[in-house]
Amino acid sequence: MSIGHEAFTFVRELVRAESAIVLEPGKEYLVESRLVPLARQGGHATVDAFVADLASRRNPSAMRLVVEALTTNETSWFRDTDPFTALRQTVFPTLAKTRSNREIRVWAAACSSGQEPYSILMTAQDTPEISGWKIDMLATDLSQEMLDRARKGEYSQLEVNRGLPATTLVRHFERVGLGWRISPALAAQVQFRQLNLVRPFPPMGKFDVVFLRNVLIYFDLATKRDILRRVRQVMAPDGHLFLGAAEMTMGVDDAWERVPAGRSSVYRIREEQRTCVP
Amino acid sequence: MTINSGPDHALVHAAIEQVWGSMLFEAAEPWPADVPADFETGLQAHIEIRGGWNGRLVLTCDSVVATQIAAALLGMGPDEQVDELDVHDAVGEVLNVVGGSVKGAIGGAMTLGLPGIRASASPPTSEESLVVSWRGAPVHVQIVPDAAKAS
Amino acid sequence: MRALIVDDSRAMRKIVGRILVDAGYEVLEAGDGQEALDVLNSLDGDLPDLACVDWNMPVMDGLTFITEVRKQTEWRAITLMMVTTESEQDRIVRALAAGAHEYLIKPFTGDALVEKLDLLGLTATTVGDLA
Repeated sequence: MSIGHEAFTFVRELVRAESAIVLEPGKEYLVESRLVPLARQGGHATVDAFVADLASRRNPSAMRLVVEALTTNETSWFRDTDPFTALRQTVFPTLAKTRSNREIRVWAAACSSGQEPYSILMTAQDTPEISGWKIDMLATDLSQEMLDRARKGEYSQLEVNRGLPATTLVRHFERVGLGWRISPALAAQVQFRQLNLVRPFPPMGKFDVVFLRNVLIYFDLATKRDILRRVRQVMAPDGHLFLGAAEMTMGVDDAWERVPAGRSSVYRIREEQRTCVP
Repeated sequence: MTINSGPDHALVHAAIEQVWGSMLFEAAEPWPADVPADFETGLQAHIEIRGGWNGRLVLTCDSVVATQIAAALLGMGPDEQVDELDVHDAVGEVLNVVGGSVKGAIGGAMTLGLPGIRASASPPTSEESLVVSWRGAPVHVQIVPDAAKAS
Repeated sequence: MRALIVDDSRAMRKIVGRILVDAGYEVLEAGDGQEALDVLNSLDGDLPDLACVDWNMPVMDGLTFITEVRKQTEWRAITLMMVTTESEQDRIVRALAAGAHEYLIKPFTGDALVEKLDLLGLTATTVGDLA
């Protein structure tokens, strides 16, 4: 069974309208696999039947569920490892030299089920240069369902197996039922808020570190450019931006420059752009 | 030592869903109450839990289902032959992982035994079993405290 | 890279073995802790880089095996990873204290095992370049 052209088109358009995320042809499998559970819940034999029903009824809550199902990402702890090594070995120690108030502001801009902001906090705790510092962590996502999960901080056995060192698991989590829960001390350090990257950002001050990983890939060029421009506006002039391994600012928003950081790289606002933020 | 309440059907079902979903790539839907959960010649796997709660989990299913579970665990195609040793081992290992998950969820100082396998002439009566559907066939899982006796 | 898989379930040895072979490993197998010690002794110093060890096994369990391996200074280079359905916090702490470097809880997905190899710096990307 594979999703039909009509159904795929409907879903692509719905998702583009609601989130500006573009599902290119070839993403049929993704759409199919993410929607099978919703189709089953709704008592439909196929994804095509489910989408046809959705298309004819336009039930808003069902449409929102579809958008959420397609805009969430599978997430591992310390995803890709290298960015977190860069954070510990380069970014945090650099900030430690210049932040006299002993506070670092971090924004995880597509936090999904919370693994990324929690991984950032755990990394901060493992960085001796900022030991005892306050980490002001904002975590946002488009999906309310994901934010609720992230806030709750409960993860299945399968989820804690993904990239989490065993020493970190026993230090920061405790067993609850079949799964694990993040320590309340860690959870209390994160402020979770719903945010649509496509829309103007609410007032949120300036950040020293922004994680915007594996989310730009879903947007078209104009939207990418607009998001990167607005991220610059909420960034401390000497702040650090992390993108996904397959993402870059070059040719999208050239006010950013790529700076190597360990085996990874970060993006910083070019010197000449730092004073004239639009 | 703390005395723990034993596992219930909801916990065991959730553990089965997690294990089937990740190791066998199958859902574990509840068996419909109005359909008889019968089969011809069965296989029974059991595993003991000792400590704050003492008892065992007993899984009973048709031998065809057992063979399918083994093929799914081993990632074998429909044309490949699964021998009896593999079937016994695979069904035992699936129950072992379910048992470990259940034991961990109960908490406290507990130990898990090694899985055992035997032939089973008939399915247990469904009143005392949690029954889940494997590709439309019933799989019975019983929670048997030491005081009680498995059918 | 070479790995020793210690598990009493042949299905589990096959599953773990398939993931490791796919990751570029050559695989050895043992059905319990004692058999695994015998395998290590028979290798004449040509040791595996990694051992994936189940906890509950007949004859000798995984925790005892890990303790025994750690007693041998000449086996220090072997990275030890528990792969078990034992999932309580104190079990993980005990295994780490006995000398396990990592701990993977069953059930797991193939990606999770590969990510553990990354954590351990044991990703076998270029097979045979040390030969």
